[in-house]
Amino acid sequence: MRISQETKNKWIRFRKNKRAFYSLVILVVAYLASLTSPWTVNDKPLVMLFNGNFYFPAFFHYSETEFGGVYNTEPDYKKLLYSVDADIWVIMPPIPHDPLKADLSLEGTPPFPPSASHLLGTDANGRDILSRLIHGFRICLSFSLCLTVLGTLLGILIGGIQGYLGRYFDTLFQRGIEIWSSLPFLYVVILIGSIYGRSFLLLILIMAAFNWISLSYYMRAEFLKLRSMPYVKAASMLGLSHRHLFFKEILPNALTPVVTLFPFTLIGGIGSLTSLDFLGFGLQPPTPSWGELMSQGLNHLYAPWISISTVAALFITLLLATFIGEGVRDAMDPKSGDRYE
Amino acid sequence: MATDALTIENLTVRYPMRGGVLGRVQHFFTAVEDFSFSLKTGEILAVVGESGCGKSTLAQALVGLAPWTKGEMTLLGQAYNPASRKDLTLIRRQMQMVFQDPFSSLNPRQTVSEILMYPLLARGFSRIESTQKIKETLSLVGLSTEALSRFPHAFSGGQRQRIGIARSLVLSPKVLICDEVTSALDVSVQAQVIQVLDEIRRQAGISLIFISHDMQVVRALADNVIVMYLGQIQEKGSVSQVLSSPKHPYTKALIKSIPTLDREHPPEILEGDWASQGIPQTGCRFAPRCPQKTSLCTEGVIPLEMVDSVLCRCILNRST
Repeated sequence: MRISQETKNKWIRFRKNKRAFYSLVILVVAYLASLTSPWTVNDKPLVMLFNGNFYFPAFFHYSETEFGGVYNTEPDYKKLLYSVDADIWVIMPPIPHDPLKADLSLEGTPPFPPSASHLLGTDANGRDILSRLIHGFRICLSFSLCLTVLGTLLGILIGGIQGYLGRYFDTLFQRGIEIWSSLPFLYVVILIGSIYGRSFLLLILIMAAFNWISLSYYMRAEFLKLRSMPYVKAASMLGLSHRHLFFKEILPNALTPVVTLFPFTLIGGIGSLTSLDFLGFGLQPPTPSWGELMSQGLNHLYAPWISISTVAALFITLLLATFIGEGVRDAMDPKSGDRYE
Repeated sequence: MATDALTIENLTVRYPMRGGVLGRVQHFFTAVEDFSFSLKTGEILAVVGESGCGKSTLAQALVGLAPWTKGEMTLLGQAYNPASRKDLTLIRRQMQMVFQDPFSSLNPRQTVSEILMYPLLARGFSRIESTQKIKETLSLVGLSTEALSRFPHAFSGGQRQRIGIARSLVLSPKVLICDEVTSALDVSVQAQVIQVLDEIRRQAGISLIFISHDMQVVRALADNVIVMYLGQIQEKGSVSQVLSSPKHPYTKALIKSIPTLDREHPPEILEGDWASQGIPQTGCRFAPRCPQKTSLCTEGVIPLEMVDSVLCRCILNRST
């Protein structure tokens, strides 16, 4: 498939906006890097040389018995490093802390302030904050991406069908959407969460059920406008199917609101997951999450490093995404599009 | 005598006008009324008239894009009911339309090859057959195959219109409806497009319905002409007769209002427009604006009458 000149122009306009472009680069690189966090932000060595044999504990599961232990469970590699009387050599991950394990080697009661081993300190349970932030970023952004993609697909489909069919169907659906959108979202989440338990997938499904509404309004308007365009009429006259008209003729010309709203919907997804976690209705603990860290920060105000680092991380992420959204919106602006240069 | 490619009997197109809080149908607007004509194989039939007289509605009704309220259609000796969806698909296999605006009638996000390919694939042709057909059609409208990989924005208005013509032609229709195909183009480009249409008629044996408001183009291209006013046929006959010795006052007024290069004889402008007058319920529809109006003109129903082998809807011709 070839990319049309219009799309190329939009990309060029987006690239010209330095702030938006570099925000996109930073966010994408940060997200891709965070995807490696199960291996690079962990307390299992990347490579371990034990009695002349190579092991890769970050990637594979080994039982304790292989290293002279008693049980079949995975060994605590940090302990192993000091306790075993053997020829041992390791490469640890860059941030050698598991987000779920408390650091029991420190003396006193957590939360511990930032130190050389815990760059951002630990939370109230003695878990490394930096590690939890990185894992939280990965989970939060993955969640928001899934949510946005699902919500966008639903929005396109429902809004598109509404606009494409028009007439009574449109009116009927519009009233239905108004009723649906007036449901209190938070109560639905709490209710369903308390019945079926809280899981990543369930939370995405519930939130996507409310997420598509704003996009569907835009899609409906675009489809209503475009379906009476002469090229759509021509295609219908040439005997092309409704599916072709919907996906090939109208949809490619109706993508402006989809692309424009995408970064903002992403921000909304991050925000709502964080706030749900903050309230304790989000993902099941001990999943690393920013909202949960924030509520810890609130409960331990004498340990400001918890809230400061979390709020800073959230602020920067939302700021970057907003810059991207702003750049996309400007690049998509039809008024700047038809200018001759 | 050649056989008729298309015969239309008593075509009427009515649009429901909705209003009020509940959007009920309050009254109907009749865009085309009791329209009958026949199109011979290989003929070019022009339909002329002012804007808003129902020309485009007529074109759209023929291919099923406007509601077909009443009337019979016989296409290539076969009777169809255009109000039914099933017949409509059959009609569209034989009859296609070229759209007025070459800018909005081509999808900006499809390459020319996609624009031409989709209808063929939907009709069940294979990719190889389609490619072959597309190449033939492109050379018929005078475009090179380089055009295939480009998007519509890379072409001029005249080229775009030829792409539009090619799109209608790939399905090899027998009747082609051209809805003001030249009105959005420069004069020099108009000539190219008209040449292409004439070429198609001769090479592919296609009958054309040529809808236009441009008398000069009609004179250059068409065999027969229908003069239309407010959805009715006012005058119908061969181009030479109708345009050189018009019988109906409306036709006369239209011809007089053609701008010419001769400054000594400025065009005479026909006063008023139909919208401000409203549609007369009885008598001649053109009566409110007619310079030769008599008291008899506003009474009864005025039928189409044969005057010197031209059909004309005017009582002034009765006495002569």
